[in-house]
Amino acid sequence: MKFGYEFIKGLWDENPTFRLVLGMCPTLAVTNAAMNGLSMGLATTFVLVGSNIMVSALKKVIPDEVRIPSYVIIIATFVTIADLALAAFFPEIYRVLGLFIPLIVVNCIILARAEAFAAKNSIGKSALDGLGMGFGFTWALTFLGIIREILGMGSVFGIKLFGEGFVSWIIFILPPGAFLTLGLILGLFNAVLGKKKKAQCS
Amino acid sequence: MKNPIARLIIVLALISIGSGLFLALTYTYTIPHIEANAAHDQEVAILETLPDAVSFEELKNTEFPIYVGLDSSGNEVGFAYVAEGGGFQGMIGLMVGVDPEQEIITGVKILSHSETPGLGARITEAVFLDQFAQKSISDNFIVKEDIDGVTGATFSSKSVSAILEQTLPKAVEQYRESGGGK
Repeated sequence: MKFGYEFIKGLWDENPTFRLVLGMCPTLAVTNAAMNGLSMGLATTFVLVGSNIMVSALKKVIPDEVRIPSYVIIIATFVTIADLALAAFFPEIYRVLGLFIPLIVVNCIILARAEAFAAKNSIGKSALDGLGMGFGFTWALTFLGIIREILGMGSVFGIKLFGEGFVSWIIFILPPGAFLTLGLILGLFNAVLGKKKKAQCS
Repeated sequence: MKNPIARLIIVLALISIGSGLFLALTYTYTIPHIEANAAHDQEVAILETLPDAVSFEELKNTEFPIYVGLDSSGNEVGFAYVAEGGGFQGMIGLMVGVDPEQEIITGVKILSHSETPGLGARITEAVFLDQFAQKSISDNFIVKEDIDGVTGATFSSKSVSAILEQTLPKAVEQYRESGGGK
């Protein structure tokens, strides 16, 4: 039960994008197409799981004073591995996301999970936490990507949805579209969840 | 350990060494794939920009790489060259196929770029690049007149046009000087 929750919480209750509002830089930057959001999310998941496991395994060895530099080295190692692996085995995705992969290293979700969770919990729990948070981030990014791609390009995962007459709403694949979409979704989530909480109280 | 400072240094050093070791392994394992990808991309690009060619060979003693396309009976059908120039966020590398006899472009492919994903990065799509095929090498490729730019990426579109306009005369000259098209 407890173990299951470590995974589930990242998907909804503590969703990094919609509930914790962490890692906004990649969220805003790469979600102009569904595929970009999905691949960014999966690459981040890999780094999150890897760094959570390593940090948890080394938590007794790493002295408090140098824990942040140690975490950063561990995270940077996994990011570079993800970067090289994508370039070697998924050149198509790498061509689109190339610039953003090294930037995973500064994604605050990863350092936040290392510091707030992995440094205090067992390896198994930390791995599940990383997986849950990663998938939560992935679905959030893919969801944003789908909405923006439909409005901005009239397609989903590159498949055209509308006929020739469709006039795409360019602003949604431009940076302002990221803020508009994310803002509206966050508002919607808060409205829905806010009501739920009130109902629980009364 | 008695000295706390020494412990900090040792732990950090060990983590760094471990990280370096891990990365060195990943690098040696992935680099052949990465290089093969690049070589494969280059080969595909040369043959795609020269639709009549089935093989190619590199011209020697040129300023930038020029590949002469050959058809199945070994006749020259044109040449492809690598052009580079500034884009919106970094360098754009192009493979350009030219038919020097008719003086037209036979195809253009993007080899490398760092344009905005989803916007400028769409200069790699066929809808945009195919417009350059069959255009005269002395064309100016003015975006919005001769060429439809990529929506929301006028700068990236113009960069591709400018690179072509600047490099084409030089490439044709180099090709002729080094004995091509005899």
